[in-house]
Amino acid sequence: MPAPIRILTAVPICDGHDSAINTINLEFIRHGIEVIYLGYHRSVGDIVRAALQEDVRAIGVSSYNGGHVEFFAEVVDLLRKRGASDIKVFGGGGGTITHDDAAAMKRKGVDTIFFAGTSLTEMVDYVRKNYGKPREKRPRPKSFDQELAHKLSEIEEAAGKSRKHRTSKIKHRTSKVIGFTGPGGAGKTTLIDELVLRFLNQNPKGRIAILSHDPSVIGEGALLGDRATMINSQDDRVFMRSMATRGQAGGLSPATHDCLALLAESNFDYVIIETVGTGQEAMPFQKNGIVDLTVLVMNPDYGSRLQLQKIVMLDLANIVVVNKSDLQRARTAHTEIEQRLEQNRRDQQLIDTVAKRHRDPGVDDLFDVISMVGRDRRAPRRRGRENL
Amino acid sequence: MSKLGQVVEAIEKYNKFVLDQVKRARTDEQFGRELLGRWNDIKAKTPVTHTPTGLPLPRLALPEIDEPGEIARYLFDEGLPGEFPFLNGAYREMYLEPVREIEAGSYGRKTSANGAKGKANGDGARPPEEPTRLFSGLMLAEDTNERFHYLTQHQRTQRLSTAFDGPTLYGIDSDADGVFGKVGEGGVAIDTVEDMVRLYDGFDLGSPNFSASMTISGPASIIMAMYIAAAKRRFGPKVVPKLRGTIQADIFKEVQAQNETIFPIEASLRFLTDMVEFTTHEMPRWYPISISGYHIGEAGSTPVQQAAYTLSNGFAYAEMFAARGIPVDQFGPRLSFFLDCGLDAEYIALARVSRRIWAIGMRDAFGAGPRGQLFKLHTQTSGRSLIAAEFKNNLTRTAAELMLAYMNATNSCHSNSADEPFTTPSEEWIRLAAHGQAILLEESGIFKHTMNMLSGSPGMKAVERAVEAAILDEFREIERLGGVLAAVEDRYQRSQIQNAAHRYEQQIYEGIRTIIGLNKYRNGEDDAPEIKLARTPRKKQQLQVDRLAKFKKTNADKAKRTLDKLVAVVDRGENCFPALLEAVEVCSLGQITGRLQEVVGRFRPMV
Repeated sequence: MPAPIRILTAVPICDGHDSAINTINLEFIRHGIEVIYLGYHRSVGDIVRAALQEDVRAIGVSSYNGGHVEFFAEVVDLLRKRGASDIKVFGGGGGTITHDDAAAMKRKGVDTIFFAGTSLTEMVDYVRKNYGKPREKRPRPKSFDQELAHKLSEIEEAAGKSRKHRTSKIKHRTSKVIGFTGPGGAGKTTLIDELVLRFLNQNPKGRIAILSHDPSVIGEGALLGDRATMINSQDDRVFMRSMATRGQAGGLSPATHDCLALLAESNFDYVIIETVGTGQEAMPFQKNGIVDLTVLVMNPDYGSRLQLQKIVMLDLANIVVVNKSDLQRARTAHTEIEQRLEQNRRDQQLIDTVAKRHRDPGVDDLFDVISMVGRDRRAPRRRGRENL
Repeated sequence: MSKLGQVVEAIEKYNKFVLDQVKRARTDEQFGRELLGRWNDIKAKTPVTHTPTGLPLPRLALPEIDEPGEIARYLFDEGLPGEFPFLNGAYREMYLEPVREIEAGSYGRKTSANGAKGKANGDGARPPEEPTRLFSGLMLAEDTNERFHYLTQHQRTQRLSTAFDGPTLYGIDSDADGVFGKVGEGGVAIDTVEDMVRLYDGFDLGSPNFSASMTISGPASIIMAMYIAAAKRRFGPKVVPKLRGTIQADIFKEVQAQNETIFPIEASLRFLTDMVEFTTHEMPRWYPISISGYHIGEAGSTPVQQAAYTLSNGFAYAEMFAARGIPVDQFGPRLSFFLDCGLDAEYIALARVSRRIWAIGMRDAFGAGPRGQLFKLHTQTSGRSLIAAEFKNNLTRTAAELMLAYMNATNSCHSNSADEPFTTPSEEWIRLAAHGQAILLEESGIFKHTMNMLSGSPGMKAVERAVEAAILDEFREIERLGGVLAAVEDRYQRSQIQNAAHRYEQQIYEGIRTIIGLNKYRNGEDDAPEIKLARTPRKKQQLQVDRLAKFKKTNADKAKRTLDKLVAVVDRGENCFPALLEAVEVCSLGQITGRLQEVVGRFRPMV
């Protein structure tokens, strides 16, 4: 089976009309397409950066607020400038885009515009037909990020054919790798984005990579929507890649290990890996000797106290975060988890956060703890390796 | 229990009260006699009017009942127009022609010395307002100003309605990265108080004949401060209590549907409440919020969801304002509503039911007096129902929606242009849309002779019962989730709306929902109006960027100081509106939102 088509969808800056794109996204994933959704009110720079990093086949832009002729043209131009003309651009805007507009947009390099009344099936067919063929020879990457993105695509495509692409031995490890896992809805994505904000503020030149996972729907595509909520991570100093699990259980993708290995030797200060929402028995980083530090993000609503005994990651994580600690249940959760961790007699940390709150002191604490690991990096990593 | 839970209880209790009154009227003879007496008295006092063809009609039509139980049911369950619980209308006479004019047989000028002038309004201080309030905003402030003067040149009263461009709606400056092409597109570009001065130049902002409406929510409090600052620059500080108008400022619906939110929800609500506290105290004639279901409907909700979320948002705002210590009789009358009207059966009575729920909730759960119970409604016909294919059918769609809107006794109405699916409406189609209203209200005899002309049919009653029950179910669900704010943060309303939107599209696709010209009776021809695109020239966009740069340069030092002061106030948790009033004198919109976002954060979109 060929690898799923990866496309990026977004709504332009100063435009909040996301009703059409939400419907279209769902239709795409129902037909086996992987959609990286960037959200609404997105600048040309954000869209092109994301498309480049995600190395998608095409960008679908849904515009209902006017200025589309200029906006689409700017997307095409910036792609060209960045050496990514092989990423195609298509879109629509109901009746707001006239036939004359569409003709002008096509002259400027847009593949196609769907007019009002186009059926969802027609759109799916168009994407499959035009962006589904294997890529021809890639253009030479024009930037470090683009080269990295191309290599990640090669790894992902190779994993799809169940060929080992590369050895997982890391030659020159240059980044600290932090793994985030935990049940769905615990707030991992928001928490990571808040940590990224602190990192960017405190390290004016530092760079960070994020490998984010979302589940593939069985027999279908995947909606990779983390970027839409990660407002602080849309930055030139952040390299982000969204991966679908493509049928693998356990919270990661068949290509994760190799992708992570590549990122870990690519000169980022930190590489953050986020699993999909996991179940009690999951231990996603067990086989990935690359992860230096694991963070388990918990929701205070985990059920009865007995449930805690079954969560394997509570034995393995270096840091346990109780997020949403503003909820009523959070104090009980803290006490119960604290007791559970004491059984382990290991040096594990328990931190309460409210990631959705701006300048949350708990997130500050977590950031400090993670930064400390950097100070004497070698020791904890060596020690941790058996466990992680 | 949040206030919403109390509202549900209040409605249930009131419905039971109605049934009790019906029973009492049938068993308690004296009570029954009193009701019958009152009923006959109402009928006797209702004036009779004559249509142009000479047909005599009562100015208020009432059901033909003479049994005390049924009379009790009518009076308590529905109420007369202008009487609690306001099912039949917020005011007594709504669209009726003034009495004497009709009796005098003159249909043209209202200036004849018959005393009608000023009376219909109930406010002797100012002339009756035309219902016209055309939404406009284009290019730069001076261009919109010119359009405002053009639109109001023949009007007694000047009612402006301001549309802002994308960058302004998102609280960013015209010189922000990547927004150049959007400057002045789809609305007016406002960056500074100087733009605000230009925007309303030549209008007497303190006059009782003037009112300004501003459709903006995310940065509403900053724009409100700019408006006040601009008014003070032109007319001095004494103008502030005289300012009349509306600012949308509806944060909940932005988060639920329209996506123009720039601060996190709690911070947005705090800035809103700061503003409301200021305006209810200092500007008693200002409407500081327009609680809007229109955008919820347009985003794809069902009609019941639209009404339920709008009303519950309204009750949540009322709860917030009351918690701040603003008296309910001060803020209650300053709340107004905005609903969508489409073609689904619910719209036959959606606004009627909403008016009743609001009145009972405000009276019984919030203790509001009569003025605070009124659900003052602006309706717009559904933009979503209009389609590009065979677009002239849109005229019929809008006409039918207008009919429904007036059957619901809306206080004002905007009818969409048939060319809306394509572009900002052109003059030709705007005229047709506006005249659609005039034909219904002024030309036809449907609404001008008799109140209740089409109220209370068995079908309408059935819709009312079903819609009210469904709205209350939604309230219960929101209450179960911990109230409006908790439900919003849980994405409850948002997910429900998206789900409904998806179902709607699916129904069209499967042909379950008929759309003429799209999935039925297609003629296959692609007709489109000739569109003259109103684009903002680059030269103008550059002018805006240049003068913004000059403003920033001139005020650089002062800007830093006032912004420091502003964030200190925000950090201390005090009402920051006075500090905003100072800040807008020397800072641009983008400078203020940018600095505030450093303190309170940015809104994280919900997907």
